[in-house]
Amino acid sequence: MTYVTVPDAPLLEIRGLSKHYGTIRALDDVSFSLDRDEIVGLLGDNGAGKSTLVKCLSGAVIPTAGEVYLHGDRKVFSTPAEARDEGIETVYQQLALVDIFDIPANFYLGREVVRDGWRGMLGILNRRLMRKRARAAVEALPARFPNLDADIETMSGGQRQVVAISRAGFWGGRLLLLDEPTAALGVKEAAAVLEMIGAMVSSTETDMAMIVISHNMEHVWSICTRLLILRQGRLVADLPKSETTRQEVVAHITGATA
Amino acid sequence: MNTRDADPGRGNGERGSPGAPAAGVMSKLVSRVRFTAMQARVGVLVLLCVFFTIRSPFFFTSTNLVNVLVNGAVIGIIGSAMTLLLVARQVDVSVGSAIGFAGAVFAVIARDYGMAWGVVGAIAAAMAIAGINAVAIIKFRVNSILTTLATLVAFRGASKLVMDGRAVRVEGFRFLGRTRFEVGGIEIPVAVIVLLLVVAVFYVLMRLTKYGQQMYAIGANPQAARLAGIPLERQVGIAFVLTGATVALASMIVVSQVGAVSPTTGERMEFLALTGVIVGGASLYGGRGSVIGTLVAILILAVLDNGLVLLQVQSFWQEVSRGVLLLGAVVFDQLGRREAEVRMDV
Ligand SMILES: Nc1ncnc2c1ncn2[C@@H]1O[C@H](COP(=O)(O)OP(=O)(O)OP(=O)(O)O)[C@@H](O)[C@H]1O
Ligand SMILES: [Mg+2]
Repeated sequence: MTYVTVPDAPLLEIRGLSKHYGTIRALDDVSFSLDRDEIVGLLGDNGAGKSTLVKCLSGAVIPTAGEVYLHGDRKVFSTPAEARDEGIETVYQQLALVDIFDIPANFYLGREVVRDGWRGMLGILNRRLMRKRARAAVEALPARFPNLDADIETMSGGQRQVVAISRAGFWGGRLLLLDEPTAALGVKEAAAVLEMIGAMVSSTETDMAMIVISHNMEHVWSICTRLLILRQGRLVADLPKSETTRQEVVAHITGATA
Repeated sequence: MNTRDADPGRGNGERGSPGAPAAGVMSKLVSRVRFTAMQARVGVLVLLCVFFTIRSPFFFTSTNLVNVLVNGAVIGIIGSAMTLLLVARQVDVSVGSAIGFAGAVFAVIARDYGMAWGVVGAIAAAMAIAGINAVAIIKFRVNSILTTLATLVAFRGASKLVMDGRAVRVEGFRFLGRTRFEVGGIEIPVAVIVLLLVVAVFYVLMRLTKYGQQMYAIGANPQAARLAGIPLERQVGIAFVLTGATVALASMIVVSQVGAVSPTTGERMEFLALTGVIVGGASLYGGRGSVIGTLVAILILAVLDNGLVLLQVQSFWQEVSRGVLLLGAVVFDQLGRREAEVRMDV
């Protein structure tokens, strides 16, 4: 897919983004920009506003104020579908899978393919095509994948996580938002998922960037190139990984700045 | 628009997928449970038929079996739409009153302006109620049970107003309710043909189309459906409009069958349809249900009614038996779900 681009503009730029719930400032005047091939770790305590930031970018939440630019082009998303059409793929903290569907049906959730001709006009699904494409995508993945035909409800937490992340990878896009992709995973599972995420960015030829949220600093540290730290809705630090230490990051998260 | 996630109803999805081709071990197990539930329904239907055939010489005659189908037709038609609603975690309890109101409008207009305008009036009346339900549920986000409970009460009164509280006769409207076509020596009433067509349409809609797939997703996990870009309001609105269409059809069949409309026309039909839909395997928690299950369940209920009358059992037992069936279905459903939960932990 091709998008409108302004030369030399960053892939993503956010200016003064805020989201208020009544008197709660879930997100307060946040600005930063993101270049292609960057994997940014977004850190912060519970309630710091990480999920709110992701939802503002994915169209799930409408910001109270602020602007979002993709490749220099101003975007306003009022639904998740609009953000998706601009190449923003999101893995939500609550995964957003339909338990009673299998993997292909979840991959194509909201983007179901209908058949050609008159059947398509009646909205008849092309299940075989969706299955074929999902299978091809799944087989190309590094992670050992659960059975394609199994319904999500029969899967473990780790398998569900893999399905949700693979769905985002399946559709590609230019900005991948991962909210707690390794939460509730065992050590081995988390490592596999992180490896898969890293491979996803480096394997695509197109411009792509990623924001990864995690409570687990080791997980973020292992794959990201830069760290953003939120505290009480405000962006308190924006650090290249090469120029910081774990201690400094923890200090920013907790507010005990040295 | 507000983005406070999804629907009035919350909670996670329940078991029973629409069209996942079953091949995996787990999904095989799950689909086997569903298959058994379906088998159980068909088994109950067959057993009832055998029982009543043995006990009454009148049961297994083509005339009587056709009667059974006719008695199930109206409930089956609205039950098909009700199944779609339950799959998306919605319900419409106003259908009985809507049938009464559309019938009343039909009768009064037909009396004064002729049959064709009566038909137009019935369709308009049914669609108006569907529209009110849809707008309240979608735009004002009122829970569908409460919305349709209000329209149930209001339009029962409205139909009495339209008819001035008295029954109105409808002469010469035979086609939908009383015309029969001969097929292989058996006279098939138009109402039964309409029932089968409606079931076929809803079957295709729910099992084969993008719309149906999205309705299952909406019922199973409304938040996920919204985040995936599925237009929940539009899809649910369409389901209420389709319900209105089945109500229009059902009201005309009832009027044609009875030849009159009274202040009680359509009363309790919402409960009969809902009983059928739930015995048929749908759940109020959404994501589950099929029109075939509903059809079989409504046949069970119709056979039961018919057989008990033939055996001259006191009519109170019909209601008791219906209640027992409903309870049985709900308990069976719950047992099946436990089993699924246990399996998930393995
Ligand atoms: N829909 C909402 N209505 C009201 N307040 C909200 C809503 N969503 C989030 N908040 C508030 O906004 C703040 C930020 O929440 P957010 O979910 O973004 O935090 P988070 O950093 O993702 O936390 P966690 O690490 O626990 O996931 C919290 O104080 C939360 O209570
Ligand atoms: Mg969060």
